[in-house]
Amino acid sequence: MRRVAGLLVLCGSLCMCAAPSAEAPPATAPATAPAPAAAPAPAPATPSAATTGDDTPARRQARRVAAGAELDRAQADLEASASDCAAACRALASMDRATTHLCALADDSDDQRRCEDARQRLTAARARVRASCGACGP
Amino acid sequence: MAVLVAAGLLGCRGAGGTTAGCTGAESTATPIDPPVMAFLSAARALHHEADLEQQGGDVAGAVKTLERLVRMPAPRAVEVDEVLADGYARLAELRLQQGDLSGADHDVQLGLGHAQGATYFRGHLLEVGGLVEEARAGALADAGQAAQASEAKTKAMALLEEAVHVQEQVIDHALADGGKP
Repeated sequence: MRRVAGLLVLCGSLCMCAAPSAEAPPATAPATAPAPAAAPAPAPATPSAATTGDDTPARRQARRVAAGAELDRAQADLEASASDCAAACRALASMDRATTHLCALADDSDDQRRCEDARQRLTAARARVRASCGACGP
Repeated sequence: MAVLVAAGLLGCRGAGGTTAGCTGAESTATPIDPPVMAFLSAARALHHEADLEQQGGDVAGAVKTLERLVRMPAPRAVEVDEVLADGYARLAELRLQQGDLSGADHDVQLGLGHAQGATYFRGHLLEVGGLVEEARAGALADAGQAAQASEAKTKAMALLEEAVHVQEQVIDHALADGGKP
């Protein structure tokens, strides 16, 4: 679940990064790009949109910095999520082995009850891990 | 976080089909004391050496290599305790493979001294302890010592049951939002 949330945040950050270039020409675009022959001459009677209102270079830069920070946070979340899933999968494998041996030793009704309890715990844990992390590796 | 960094440095070991020591890699660069870093680096190298020995069928050589690991001068740090707990678990598994049950049990006890609380390392040591007692129960039963065999079996079941409970807690903690490092 956290992995999904991390991906969503990451996607959000990327979208934020992409947004300015969709709204305005990139900063690296040539200032004197040749206009198409049939195009009317530009009429710069008013200041460019890039230097007014909410879209000043400084504000765009601030948005980029904020998006970068959000991207870093999302990446950290993703890494933490991967680490948590690796830990859960390792523990699940150990739980599985322990349950197998426990049940192999069970030879009376009390032992069978303990085996069954361990199996139920294992089944529940496996479902939790699968729901949060997907399949564990081999 | 530091624990995860240490665990990442130790890396995975796959020899013998074991999973202990295959800790989650964490790429975040958290500062660690140089002596701790040196210990972790040496431990990783020794695990690798033991992997190669095990792959070549030299179990006795792998045991000696891991004995060097657990006898290294160890700085006091949580990460170091995890590495030692993991090293003792692997040693115990190898001794069990060699039929050295008392040696394996000794390693499990020493490892548990480095693994307090509900951690993967503690759960794995309990699991290996259960396997040691299971093997002991089998050997005693084969020798016609039914009472002692039953006692070992009871101990094995208790250890395995505890391993299940500890690993269940580890999973709960890892997957809970509150368990985020």
